[in-house]
Amino acid sequence: MDRFDEIVRERAKQEPFPLPEDYAGRVFRTCAALEDTPAKRRHASRWAGVAAAVLALFIAVPNVSPAAAAALAEVPVLGTIVELVTFRSWTYDDGHASADVTVPELDGSAAAREVSDQVRAYTDQLIARFQADCETLGEGYKGLDVASVVVTDSDTWFTLRVDATETQASGYQFSRFYHIDKTTGQVVTLADLFREDVDYVTALSGEVLRQMEERMAADESIIYFPEEFTAIDPQQNFYFNGEGELVLVFDEYTIAPGSMGMPEFTIPAEVYGGLLK
Amino acid sequence: MMQAKLDKETFSALVIQNQETLFHTAKAILRSDEDAEDAVQEAVCAAFERRESLREADKFRPWLLRILVNKCYDTCRRRRPTVDLEDVADYLPAKSQDHTERLTLWQAVMALSGDLRAAVTLFYYDGLSIREISGALGISEAAVKTRLSRGRAKLRQLLEEE
Repeated sequence: MDRFDEIVRERAKQEPFPLPEDYAGRVFRTCAALEDTPAKRRHASRWAGVAAAVLALFIAVPNVSPAAAAALAEVPVLGTIVELVTFRSWTYDDGHASADVTVPELDGSAAAREVSDQVRAYTDQLIARFQADCETLGEGYKGLDVASVVVTDSDTWFTLRVDATETQASGYQFSRFYHIDKTTGQVVTLADLFREDVDYVTALSGEVLRQMEERMAADESIIYFPEEFTAIDPQQNFYFNGEGELVLVFDEYTIAPGSMGMPEFTIPAEVYGGLLK
Repeated sequence: MMQAKLDKETFSALVIQNQETLFHTAKAILRSDEDAEDAVQEAVCAAFERRESLREADKFRPWLLRILVNKCYDTCRRRRPTVDLEDVADYLPAKSQDHTERLTLWQAVMALSGDLRAAVTLFYYDGLSIREISGALGISEAAVKTRLSRGRAKLRQLLEEE
């Protein structure tokens, strides 16, 4: 700590810091009103909804969560090689920790089954982490919610977005995007869009950084952490929006404070057009 | 590692002991007195409900601050990106301000950009270490150092301009 720090700390002690008139009273009353309720313990954990037969789209599925039902209502008619079989639903509630995981099972092609397997592996991993945290926390609060929505379903492209929120004191939101190129029947990641001999990571990272600085300069309520951002992940989450533009998506807290949610950056085609396969 | 088992009385005493730090931090992020008070109240209730997750009693302050900071971010996310002018009146220089009048330290802190204010407040007003600030804000120690360095340079400029 240098001399300046010492001077500032001294000023902080000496200069009065005005607290709102009834602040102390409000804190006291809040503490007084806290209720030391005994914990309810109700264990329930189940996977449900795995169907043996292919169900028609929009058939009501038992144990489907409200979030999944809402997402289902928005699902357009899926293409020929991506069929929604059913939803897998896993719930847990012991009075302290709770979880509601609902993800679709896809079929109709090797690519659809591959995405389905990836989603299953991913959600199994989230559930395992949730269960391990519950063991560690004992009766501490923990929450896990996972739901999904079809972002794109055209003749040529399919994108499924799986949104997760982990809660422990506060929430942390993160998503995974799964894509199928219907013209090739292949599951696609960001790297698959670009030729092997090009540095798409640097090109896209530079554009993200430029947009961060531009947005912060235009509006001081917008905050990113450009000094902590080095590059996008080679497999960065992305989707194509309604205009066919490439949009990069970042999980909460990764490049900005939580107040910014999950930042998205639409990348102009001229930045990456020459790098595509 | 000792498991903290805070009863209501001990929990309340620790909250009251840290109430000024809680308000400094919430106000630094939210700027508004009213929002800061609401965030503190919500954080206290959430912390009490989840107090079993506090692993060590001597980590109470950074643990509660982390909950508060997340509540503040939740508030930022919910509210419209506007600021009530009455909320900022106390740190905006009045048009007729006498320029020989001393800028208070808090006015200078509130003139910093949003990402710097919480780290600077916790460091100078509440004496938290880099590690404690890192834990409270949920960012790396390197990021805390960067923010403090930028905040220090700006504060030096603002306070020396008086």
